[in-house]
Amino acid sequence: MMLFARVSVQNIAAYRFDLVVRIGVSLMHIAAELLGVWIIFTNTQTLKGWQWQHMLVLVGVYRIIAGGIRMSIVPNMRKVLEEIREGTLDFVLLRPVNAQLLVSIREFVVWRVADVLIGMAVAAVGCVELIGHIPVVSALIFSLMLAAGFVIVYSVWLMLATLCFWFVRIQNIEMVFWNVFEAGRFPIVIYRPWVQWLLTFVVPLAFITTFPAGALLGDPATQIPVMAPVYAVGMAMVLLLLSGWFWRFGLRHYSGASA
Amino acid sequence: MTHVVRAFLAYLRAAIGVMFQYRGEILLWAIWGLINPAVLYAMWSSAAEGNPGGEAAGFTRGQFAAYYFIIMIVGHLATAWDVYEMGYMIRTGKLSPLLLRPILPIWKSLAENVAYKIATLLFVVPMWCIFAWLVTPTFDTAMWQFGLGAAAVLLAAALNFILGYVVSLVAFWVTKLDALGEVYFGLGMFLGGRFAPLDALPEPVRWIADGLPFRWMFAFPAELLMGRITSQTEALAGIGIQAAWIVCIIVAFKILWTVAVKRHAAVSG
Repeated sequence: MMLFARVSVQNIAAYRFDLVVRIGVSLMHIAAELLGVWIIFTNTQTLKGWQWQHMLVLVGVYRIIAGGIRMSIVPNMRKVLEEIREGTLDFVLLRPVNAQLLVSIREFVVWRVADVLIGMAVAAVGCVELIGHIPVVSALIFSLMLAAGFVIVYSVWLMLATLCFWFVRIQNIEMVFWNVFEAGRFPIVIYRPWVQWLLTFVVPLAFITTFPAGALLGDPATQIPVMAPVYAVGMAMVLLLLSGWFWRFGLRHYSGASA
Repeated sequence: MTHVVRAFLAYLRAAIGVMFQYRGEILLWAIWGLINPAVLYAMWSSAAEGNPGGEAAGFTRGQFAAYYFIIMIVGHLATAWDVYEMGYMIRTGKLSPLLLRPILPIWKSLAENVAYKIATLLFVVPMWCIFAWLVTPTFDTAMWQFGLGAAAVLLAAALNFILGYVVSLVAFWVTKLDALGEVYFGLGMFLGGRFAPLDALPEPVRWIADGLPFRWMFAFPAELLMGRITSQTEALAGIGIQAAWIVCIIVAFKILWTVAVKRHAAVSG
């Protein structure tokens, strides 16, 4: 894994100007998101109990997760999709290591770390603005929930990639993912009850952005369930097992494109 | 002129065929156009309820519903992707064969654009109806506003396409266009009134928005169709501004295109 990471670093060092432009785009994204929060709260006092400080934390969490996904999950899954289509996945499967692990850690887009760091800074500012400091216990729970959110996203992605064993031509599945992910920019309390239910249990978006943000603040105004960290870890474990099983099930159906 | 029309119709037929071949993929594109306004509607309706008067930026919940319902339609009809594609076409040399044809490549882009909208109609219209049924919009639209508004929507779509195409010509000078595409999209989001109605922005920003084309691509047709623009002169002036932008940008296109193609020949030659 360290080797894969080192190769990725060398790759970007070769294109330094590109790197500067990309980090510029990252900064532009966060600027646009902060501008959005500012516009919202010059026109209203509260979004169903969420104040601007809460929203800053949410913007930060969204950035951390989106950056993490683009850093490690998306590039790997894109590669798997391509290999299934072209039949070269056979070479991966022939290697004497766990195929799921191998396909999940081959590619890293290292400069996306910038997104994660920017997101952390914004979340920290929001937290300090609201409660004056960053509570240690909440920060630990927050990290745990971010990790759980990340595992949930990974599992969903693995299942989407596995679908490709049956439906080979779904290159644009990434679009579906980002489309739905868009709804996580705002706290789920803004949606109607049945949409909230969908976003918690069917498309577990609530676990990925709203719940971690609420857990860091520990503020009842965010209206997240008290047991949210427990649910998040449970959800992550269930989905991880389910997606691993689905991947193996898909592999059994995969006969290789060259056959 | 007739040969351009004939070639355009041939392009259009071919493009519609391709769109139906890839129907799954184009639907995925269309979904974004539905989710984004729906999410923003949910956010602004909560914002309106968060104020004592039940209004934010002078919009009630029902008016936000009407605004985002129209933004959903305008946004879909205004979809154009040349800003994202031109850099790729030039980098990979895919543009070169098109340049050899006796018809400008923009006609092919336009045909694909229209084909996309025709092919997605069967999918998006029911979705628009479901959205309207769920959010119960409040319309205060008079007959004349509806008529002018429909014209404004078409002009907005035309303006969107041609402006996007002209901006994409920058790809002849800079081959990596991704960042530019994002800036262009962001301007449409904020100054075009897609993220928030322009009334939610501070006064000086609104002046800037008036002077740029983006407002006339999204917010103006939406405000007109929901019945928020009550003076006929203002509505007609808006349509005049849309038409003026379209004419200016076509002129800019003619000039830039000649320069760009000359430069292209120099690069690949």
